[in-house]
Amino acid sequence: MASLEVKDLSHSYIRGKSVLKEINFSLEAGEILSILGPSGCGKTTLLRIIAGLEKETSGSVNIDDHIISDHLHTVLTENRNIGLVVQERALFPHLTIINNVMFGIKETKSKKYEIAMRLLKLFKVDKYAYNFPNEISSGEQQRVAIARAMAPNPGILLMDEPFGTLDQSLTHQLRTETRKILKDNNTTAIIVSHDFDDAISMSDKVIVIDDGQIVQSGSAKDITHISPEKSVKLGSIISNS
Amino acid sequence: MNFSLWQITPVTLFLIFIAPVAIVLFSLTGDYSENWSHLYNYVLIGYIKNSFYLILGVSLTVLILGVGTAWIITNYDFSFKNFFEWALILPLAVPPYILAYTFTGLFDTFGTANNLIREIFDLSRDFTFFPKVRNVPGAIIVFSFTLYPYVYLVSRMAFINQSRSIIEAGRTLGLNKLEVFYKLAVPMIRPAIIGGLMLVVMETISDFGAVDHFAISTFTTGIFRTWYGMYDIETAMQLASLLLLFAITLIIIERYSRRNASYSNAMSLYKPLSHEKLRGFKNFLAFSACFIPIFIGFILPVVELTYWALNYKLDFFNEKFISTAWNTFYLAIIAAFFCSVLAVLINFSIRYKSNNYLKFMSSFLTVGYAVPGLILAIGVMQMLTFIDKSFVSNIPNIVFTGSIFGLVLAYIIKSYALSNSTIDAGYQRINERIDDVARTLKTSGWSLLSQVHLPLLKTSFLTSMLLVVSEVIKELPATLILRPFNFDTLAVYTYVYAAEERMYDAAAPSIAIVMVGLIPIIILTRMIRRSRPASRY
Amino acid sequence: MKLFTEIFVVLIITFVTVGSAFAKEVNLYTSRHYDSDDALYQKFTDKTGIKVNVISGKGKALMERLASEGTSSPADVFITVDAGNLWKVQKDGMFQSINSSMVDNIVPANLRGPNNEWVGIAKRSRVMYYNPVTVSSDEMEGLSYEDLSDPKWKGRVAIRSSGNMYNQSLVSSLIANHGVDATEAWAKDFVGNLARKPEGNDRAQIMAVANGEADIAVANSYYIGLMLSGKKGEEQQSAATKVELHFPGQNGRGAHINVSGAGLLKNAPNKGNAVKFIEFLLTDEAQSHIVNNTYEFPMREGVAPSDLIAQFGSGFKEDQTAVASYGEFNPEAVKLMDRAGWQ
Repeated sequence: MASLEVKDLSHSYIRGKSVLKEINFSLEAGEILSILGPSGCGKTTLLRIIAGLEKETSGSVNIDDHIISDHLHTVLTENRNIGLVVQERALFPHLTIINNVMFGIKETKSKKYEIAMRLLKLFKVDKYAYNFPNEISSGEQQRVAIARAMAPNPGILLMDEPFGTLDQSLTHQLRTETRKILKDNNTTAIIVSHDFDDAISMSDKVIVIDDGQIVQSGSAKDITHISPEKSVKLGSIISNS
Repeated sequence: MNFSLWQITPVTLFLIFIAPVAIVLFSLTGDYSENWSHLYNYVLIGYIKNSFYLILGVSLTVLILGVGTAWIITNYDFSFKNFFEWALILPLAVPPYILAYTFTGLFDTFGTANNLIREIFDLSRDFTFFPKVRNVPGAIIVFSFTLYPYVYLVSRMAFINQSRSIIEAGRTLGLNKLEVFYKLAVPMIRPAIIGGLMLVVMETISDFGAVDHFAISTFTTGIFRTWYGMYDIETAMQLASLLLLFAITLIIIERYSRRNASYSNAMSLYKPLSHEKLRGFKNFLAFSACFIPIFIGFILPVVELTYWALNYKLDFFNEKFISTAWNTFYLAIIAAFFCSVLAVLINFSIRYKSNNYLKFMSSFLTVGYAVPGLILAIGVMQMLTFIDKSFVSNIPNIVFTGSIFGLVLAYIIKSYALSNSTIDAGYQRINERIDDVARTLKTSGWSLLSQVHLPLLKTSFLTSMLLVVSEVIKELPATLILRPFNFDTLAVYTYVYAAEERMYDAAAPSIAIVMVGLIPIIILTRMIRRSRPASRY
Repeated sequence: MKLFTEIFVVLIITFVTVGSAFAKEVNLYTSRHYDSDDALYQKFTDKTGIKVNVISGKGKALMERLASEGTSSPADVFITVDAGNLWKVQKDGMFQSINSSMVDNIVPANLRGPNNEWVGIAKRSRVMYYNPVTVSSDEMEGLSYEDLSDPKWKGRVAIRSSGNMYNQSLVSSLIANHGVDATEAWAKDFVGNLARKPEGNDRAQIMAVANGEADIAVANSYYIGLMLSGKKGEEQQSAATKVELHFPGQNGRGAHINVSGAGLLKNAPNKGNAVKFIEFLLTDEAQSHIVNNTYEFPMREGVAPSDLIAQFGSGFKEDQTAVASYGEFNPEAVKLMDRAGWQ
């Protein structure tokens, strides 16, 4: 699994205000990071820059100590070895569940099947292997989306609001399961969320972003034991969302 | 950003295809002959006025016909609904000029219909029941009833993909069914409707056959009058350029009007629609609303033409007919295929490389649809002869002028707007996050296109083929001038007879055009039905 | 992708490769569209072994194609149904002299190009059709085109729109004889006499007379033959029997004549064959084929017109105005008709 380092990363749109200002953080291989913050704070943009879907204005992104993006280099998304789960899930509607998961695996046919089936079983959606995405529930679609992202064994898994649209009980169950699978596979992962519970229960590290800046960072434990005034600030950020 | 295959290929293709249109526009930089003062003083205002009323009337009528029938088909269950669903596009097989001939044959003072009325009611020869059709209102009817399927097709597609929950929310907010229709459903699919309407308007302004037959002076008949009568092709090209500029203005307005409108809701789950079952009078109303457009736009001309053909010219269907029909058919398929591929490549490049340049240029290419076919053919011909003289003059047996290549090129330029609008609409329905995810799954470029986009664009691709095929089968002026020796298509036959108003002679090839046009329509509608997103995902 | 490219290249090459050079052939661009013409070309091939390749289309469009192809044009012969078109091609320097004594002997000078670049192959006259019930033969006696501006014809005349080249040629011939101003004054009065807004083709004008919508119509001579032949249906056949044909201007210049004509192109790749072809069109055999199928008047003396048209009298007086002048005055004619409000 890969490590990640983000250095002095800033981003602004051509005419607009800056979306991200001087973001710095790093992640060891196998660690899970939560990025927390209200809607529109720039966290999705950060994820897209790491994935290579957008280009930063300044700063750099390193994976395993190799520069994958700075003012001189850009490694294309498809060569970054990254897994991505987007909020909308974006399953390929024309493929069955198993074909969705097999899609990114570059192996022989039987090996592909084996890997995909193992993941579907882990996420308890193997019985829908030959269904189409529109035939299963949103919770199940969410699991398939995560399984699909993990299938090619990416160096880093990026998840944008993975549980955003699900109901409470489902969220809780899926969080626990996902964390277990990530940890069992020793996957480096970043979870973007506006949900405090997501952050605390799933991750090793947490950073909090507001208005494009990191306002707080630390271990999940640190964040739960923070000084009263900071807690108030964090609380207001979260509740504003 | 470095230039990749996905930027260079579409741009190159684009430049080839845009050249003939550019040649037409280039005339604006030339000298302006004194014929302009004549045009300005005596006829231009009349041309503009007639064209304006025509566009206005056709737009309103196709909106009512196209959107109305699409809404009824999408939401209600009534007698013969399954038949109407696809039969409503049948008028696409009937070119406006053929309906115009039918109309005069039926409704002229001593036309079949008026004679019939006189016979039935034993009236004197001075009595004329039906109003005259050789006027602007007549032309509006002719264009509307042959072109409404463009609006019907896009509206139907858009209504199917429309989020049901919003419609249901509208009902709970106290809107009645009619209000839901015009306050919610129609505004929500506005970009699609405007897209279809643009096609109708462009086809209307570029048409020559129908308005010429009705002897209505429009901008386009003015172009040909200037060319044929005053021997002034330069001024004719300049007039055509004005038509082009008008179309470009329309396109810019359309782009602008939907700049912030991201209406796609492709991720909303498909819910099987619950059709309200209609009974009694309402059933009859819905039936009539769908039947009348098909009757006027398809059944009427087919019956009249069959009658003429049977009475006067059955010997047309000989072995020569088979080769002519085959020419027509394979040309149409080839042109439709390449046109659709071009539209996919360009739209893919626009999306994949966020290529705004190309996006702008692509809308520019769609104006080819608004150029009268013969003027466009002149542009194509000048380009081909230029290529022949400059590049391939030393290679024996290779001549672009008068080759099938030139014909296909002209067809593609003429029909690109049809492909572009369907492929563009298809892409609107594919969530862009799907591309992001695919790229993280190491699928980009060609694989992204072939493994993800093409399967999802299947319906749009087939629809695009359908529209281009029926356009090419109907297309005549470009064929006449660009074709190789001894090469006939069905439209050529129809045209040479119809141009001299030898309607009885034209009937058999016209029927053949309609029949050959029906084959792809039926095959493709079947394929589209099977591949429709709603049926599986 | 590679396969795709290959297919594409192969397709393009197939499309642009024009058939192998046929040693004995003649390439024809024509704006005549008669089924009977195909049979005529076949007769030529049977006789000489020379294959006739045809592209038919609108006259002006074909002319534009000729101009655009320039020296590399494959066309040998250009056939069209209006002398104005022939004049235009000649003026643009795209023809060459035919140099055939046979042609010179048969075709009168006013029906060919100044240097024999083109020749008429059949004649048609723009005549009048009247309803013998509502118009007396006295009224028709010596009636000319010029006379149709007389107020006594108010609301009685039918003619097709000014977009039609036969009308443009007619007005051009009036300009050639009377000048622009006099012709414009005539056109204004003439338009005021129309029974209805110009609509339909020449046959529709004859039908209007037969149906009583107008008393007199201006239309080409061969249409009556076509209608009487029954090829256009019983309705037109019976309508045609209700009208009488009148050759205008018999006390003056004579009836307006136009031609179907053939020109020899400057860059004709098969010049010899082309001359043979044009000569063939003027043979007895070809001439009687043409007149019996299209009901035009023959170019060659000694060939009888079709009976259906000959019954109206074939010894009429022809206007001797050079048909080439139609082309020269055509643009002015169109503008004049615009000014006169002739739709």
